[in-house]
Amino acid sequence: MDPLVYVLDFIVLVGIFSIFSLSLNIEFGFAGLANFGKVAFVLIGAYTYTLLSNINVPFYVCLIAGATASAIIGFLVSLPTLKLREDYLAIVVLAFGEILKVIVKSEDWIAGGVWGIPVYPAISVTGSSARLDMVINIALVYFCLFISFFLLQLLANSPYGRVMRAIREDEVAAEALGKNRAKYRAQVFALGSAIAGLGGGLYAQYLQFIDPYMFAPMLTFTIWIMVLLGGPGNNWGALLGAGLVQLFDRGANIVKDYLTLPIDPSNLQYIIYGILIILVLLYRPQGLLKESQVKTKAMESIFNGRGFAKNRRG
Amino acid sequence: MEEVLLKIEEVSKHFGGVYAVNGISLDITPGKIWGLVGPNGSGKSTLFNTVLGIHKPDEGNIYFKDRCITNLVPHQIYDLGLVYTFQVPRLFQALKVLDNMLVAGRGHQGDKLLFSLFFRKSWQKKEIELAEKAMEILELLKLDHLALSPAGELSGGQRKLLELGKGLMASPTLLLLDEPAAGVNPNLGRSMFERIEDLCQKGLSFFIIEHRLELLFDFAHWVYVMDKGKIVLEGKPQEVAQDPSFFHIYLGDE
Repeated sequence: MDPLVYVLDFIVLVGIFSIFSLSLNIEFGFAGLANFGKVAFVLIGAYTYTLLSNINVPFYVCLIAGATASAIIGFLVSLPTLKLREDYLAIVVLAFGEILKVIVKSEDWIAGGVWGIPVYPAISVTGSSARLDMVINIALVYFCLFISFFLLQLLANSPYGRVMRAIREDEVAAEALGKNRAKYRAQVFALGSAIAGLGGGLYAQYLQFIDPYMFAPMLTFTIWIMVLLGGPGNNWGALLGAGLVQLFDRGANIVKDYLTLPIDPSNLQYIIYGILIILVLLYRPQGLLKESQVKTKAMESIFNGRGFAKNRRG
Repeated sequence: MEEVLLKIEEVSKHFGGVYAVNGISLDITPGKIWGLVGPNGSGKSTLFNTVLGIHKPDEGNIYFKDRCITNLVPHQIYDLGLVYTFQVPRLFQALKVLDNMLVAGRGHQGDKLLFSLFFRKSWQKKEIELAEKAMEILELLKLDHLALSPAGELSGGQRKLLELGKGLMASPTLLLLDEPAAGVNPNLGRSMFERIEDLCQKGLSFFIIEHRLELLFDFAHWVYVMDKGKIVLEGKPQEVAQDPSFFHIYLGDE
């Protein structure tokens, strides 16, 4: 295999997984919503993209439709659990992801059932090479990643981000201060699902083939490891986590061919994930990067200008 | 007849077989400081929690500004102008002290998703205004030098102060304080109550649970005494203090 294509493939996947981990970070890192069914929303995005693109809908419409479908379904799934403690949400979405997978698997008419379904590339150039395809994919994925990241950074550094964090810290106190936690949770969940759906669409169009087995719970946990490793509540951390986990994944894949192990070497990366997550939670529970603080213009104006300086002197 | 701000009508709340609040009725009129005292476990905090919608009353009704609030949830009650500070401070630990204050701010467009994302100009002015107000309150509570520290790093007394600060930040019509001076040093406790008196003269009303009687009785206009879920005594602080049954309830026999 062309080594450059291998590297480019790595770059594309880091981009796609960064989108996934950003979407979990907004839910878990900022708002404290433990979404153990992330894969369901990736699946919705991927299948929506595929089904639409196979009837010749332009790729950008497919991506937006995937994100929208995912957001709507995310919103609906979160509704029954909004007023309950957050662990119920985790249970409901975990079950939802599994149910969805079973439905897609057993209903052939949707998208080929267990046989999967091919996806046509978003942008095909006549006479293109593997390298050029990769470059096009990188442009597309990183454009979407940039937009998601930009919006989430805006949100993190806004009063809304402050309220999200407040609800995560103490929902009763936030509620007593006039914050409708059910509304905020539903919004955040829909937003997180939309971004996951967008990532799902990109994932499908990059792999050019999807089947239900790709959307196993392991994908959810991989995304969780990225967020926990990088640092929940920090969008840069989500990117870092995605990059590192992909790197470990690749590393384990390469190394295992040269190792003689008493275990099945294809399980090596799962063992590494397990060790990694235990080490992170034991020794650095806040993740590699610390949680980012809310930064708004008001704070800057107060602390660079009169307010704080005056108080300090006085 | 005098206007009534908060009207509690025959409210009961029981947990299992225990009546924490047992048929309490009382009226709170605006512009005054109202006190609520009683031994531990007499149901004071439960009464506050019930008023604020954190518990639903089993019987009775609660009215705020002539509007029935019995079945409203806490954030709706906040919107009406009735705000509560918790006895055990419930801070947003990972957030900075200033952010804790700003969360409590009222009428902020930036709290809405679309405004936070796409109409960022629309709330910058409000944000600065709220931040300045927050700094003023923090200065008053002698917390201004900690404005950028995480709330989780504050000492016990400072947490109480910040909890009060959040209550003031919410610009309430009626502020329910649950032991604001507990764990706060004596001087600061007194200046806190002096500040409460100032605000009261500006039209803000207070309903305060406090065990520091020397403070409460100096500042309150009217005091209710609760025992075993019922109001057993009420009156001007001096009258209550001189009532023999008050000592009996509060301190026990001899």
